[in-house]
Amino acid sequence: MYNGIAASRGIGIGSICVITEHELKYDAVKVEDTESEKARFDSALDQFKKETSEMAEDIRKRIGPKEAEILEGHLVMMSDPTMSGEMSKMIAAGQCAESAVEAVCDMFIGMFSKMDDDLMRQRASDISDIKVSLLKILLGIQDIDISKVAPGTVLVARDLTPSMTSQIVKENVVGIITEVGGKTSHSAILARALEIPAVLSVPDITALVKDKDTAIVDGTEGNVYINPEGDILSQYIIKREEYIKKQAELKGFFGKETATSDGIKLELFCNIGTPKDAKKAVECDGEGVGLFRSEFLFMDNTRMPTEDEQFNAYKEAAQTLGGKPVIIRTLDVGGDKDIPYLNIKKEENPFLGYRAVRYCLGNKDSYMIQLRAIVRASAFGKVKIMVPLVTCVEEIRAVKEMVAEIKKDFDANGIAYDKDIEVGCMIETPSASLIADLLAKEADFFSIGTNDLTQYTMSVDRGNADVAYLYSTFQPSVLRSIKHIIECGVNAGIPVGMCGEAAADPLMIPLLISFGLTEFSVNPVLVLTARCIISKWSKAEADEITAKALALETEGEIVKLLKEAAKE
Amino acid sequence: MVSQKITVTNEQGMHMRPASVFSQAMTPFASDVKIVFNGNTFDAKSVMMLMSACIKCGAEIEVQCDGADEADALKKAIELIESGLGD
Repeated sequence: MYNGIAASRGIGIGSICVITEHELKYDAVKVEDTESEKARFDSALDQFKKETSEMAEDIRKRIGPKEAEILEGHLVMMSDPTMSGEMSKMIAAGQCAESAVEAVCDMFIGMFSKMDDDLMRQRASDISDIKVSLLKILLGIQDIDISKVAPGTVLVARDLTPSMTSQIVKENVVGIITEVGGKTSHSAILARALEIPAVLSVPDITALVKDKDTAIVDGTEGNVYINPEGDILSQYIIKREEYIKKQAELKGFFGKETATSDGIKLELFCNIGTPKDAKKAVECDGEGVGLFRSEFLFMDNTRMPTEDEQFNAYKEAAQTLGGKPVIIRTLDVGGDKDIPYLNIKKEENPFLGYRAVRYCLGNKDSYMIQLRAIVRASAFGKVKIMVPLVTCVEEIRAVKEMVAEIKKDFDANGIAYDKDIEVGCMIETPSASLIADLLAKEADFFSIGTNDLTQYTMSVDRGNADVAYLYSTFQPSVLRSIKHIIECGVNAGIPVGMCGEAAADPLMIPLLISFGLTEFSVNPVLVLTARCIISKWSKAEADEITAKALALETEGEIVKLLKEAAKE
Repeated sequence: MVSQKITVTNEQGMHMRPASVFSQAMTPFASDVKIVFNGNTFDAKSVMMLMSACIKCGAEIEVQCDGADEADALKKAIELIESGLGD
C-alpha cells in the first residue's frame, strides 16, 4: 500500500494507464537569426493562448466557471506584457526561445514561491504549468490524448497538467494518482469537480507501476493499492458500493428539513471563516451560520481592520445567507492565535491568559469598532453577536452594555440596524458551564464550543502527544457538562447550539438530540451527513442510548456503546 | 506627476482577479501608472508585477500617475481600489 494526499473522496478500482512525460530537453544555443527566433516564439505564444482559451472554454462548459478560472489565469498571466516582453527581450539578445521562456518563468516561480501567502504560492505552480505548456509547443511535443483511454482507467502521472485534465472523460477515468500536487492544486480541484477519486503526492508512483496493473484508489483515506490481494480487492469492491450508495442517499437530503425520525425539527448551521465561505454554506444547504469566525479580518492584516472593512465583510455574509441567521463570534484572539500588531505580550499560559473576550473588554475602543460593524450589518440579514470564552456574568453584561450604547448612538444618528439583534454566549469554559443557569438569564442564546470545553474540562492540551489521549468529548465529565449547559438553556427558554467538531460526530448526535440541543453547527461539507444521521434517530431511541451512556463510568465504555448503536 | 495614498480593502488583496481587473483598467491610459508599496515601485499595468508586490487587504499603497492623462488615470485607479476591485 502506498500513501498520499487524499485529494478527492471516493473509491476507484481500475486498470492503470501511466502517462509518461517527455523530457523537455533542448540545446541552449546562442541564436544568430534573432528575428526568426522571435517569430517562432510569437507563434508558440499565439498557439498557447489559443489552446488555453479553448481548454478554458471547454472546462467552463463541461465542469464549471470556477474550475475554468485556473486556465483563464494562465491566459491573463501570459497576456501580461511583462512576461512575454521579458522573454522577447532575451530572445532579441540572442537566447533561444526555450531558454528565454524557462528563465523568465523560473524567475517568477522563485519570486512567488517565497511569498508568505498560500494563494500567492499557488501562482508559482501556475507559472510552472505555463512553462511546461510553452516548452512543449516550442519543442513540438504532443501530450497523450487522455480522452481516448478505456473505461475503468486509473490515470497515473507525475503531475496532471491542465491540458491533460481538461481531456478527462468522467465516464472512463475511475481514479487518479500523481507524484506531486496538494489539496488545492489544479488536478485536485478538477478531480473533485468531476467526482473522480484522487490520491496525490504518492512518491515515485510512476516508477512503481506499469500499464494494466490493477489499482485501488482510496481518495477518502489517501491510500493506493497496486495489484492488491483478493481479499483486499473484494473488501474495496464492497466499500466502493457502500460509498456510492451513501453519496446517492446524502444527495437525497439536499433541500430537506433537518428533523429526527419522529419529526422533531432541528436547525443545521455551518461554521465559516470568511464571507466567501458563506456561499459555501448556502451551496451545501446549510440553514444558517452558527459560527462566523471573525479572526480572518484581523489575521490577514497588518493593522486593525476599520469599521467599514468589518461591516462590509459581515454584511456580505448576512446578504449571502439571505435572512437566515448569521452568528458572528467576536474576536477570539490569544491562546494559539497570535496577531502580531495587537502586541499581546508573551504569556506563560496563553490559554489561561489574555484572550478572546478578556482582551476585547480590555481594549474597548477596538472592540467597540467590531461591535458597531456587526450591529450595522444586522440591517442586512439576521445577524447575531456571540461572545467567546465567557467565564463570568460581568463579561456578558459588559458586552450587552456596549451594544445598548451603540443602539442609542445609531438611533440618534439614524443608522439602520436590527432592533432585536441577539447577544449570545459561547459556553466553552468549565466556569461558564457551572454558571450556565446565571448566564442564561443574560444571554439570548448559548453556543457550546466543544473544542475548548473539552480542553479546559480535562485540563489537557490536545497538541501535546503525551496527554492527547485524555482529549475526548466523550469523557463522562465533558458529557455531564454539555448536558448541564443544554438543560440550563432549555429551562431558561433560550436556544442552545453547538459549534465544535462534536456537533457533526455520528456518535455524539444521539446524545445531543436527547439533551435537547436545538442547533447543530458543522463544517459545510458535513451538512448532509449530519442531516442524514439526525433523521435516523427518534427522541425515544436517543434518550435510551443516552441514559445507558451516562450510566457508564469511562470514556472507553461510552465510545464502545455509542459505536455499537451508531447509525450512519 | 500626481499621486494619492489609499488602503486596499478588498478581502483578497492584489490577487489574480483584482490585479487583473486593475492592470487591464490602467492599460488604456497613456500615462505611466505605478504603485508604491513597502518602499518598492511596481508597474500597475502589469498583472505579474502587481501580484509580485504581495499587497494584502489593509495594505496602504500609493498610486502614482505620470503623463498626459495622469489626472484621469489616478481618478480611475482610486475609484477601482475603493470599490473593492471587483472582488
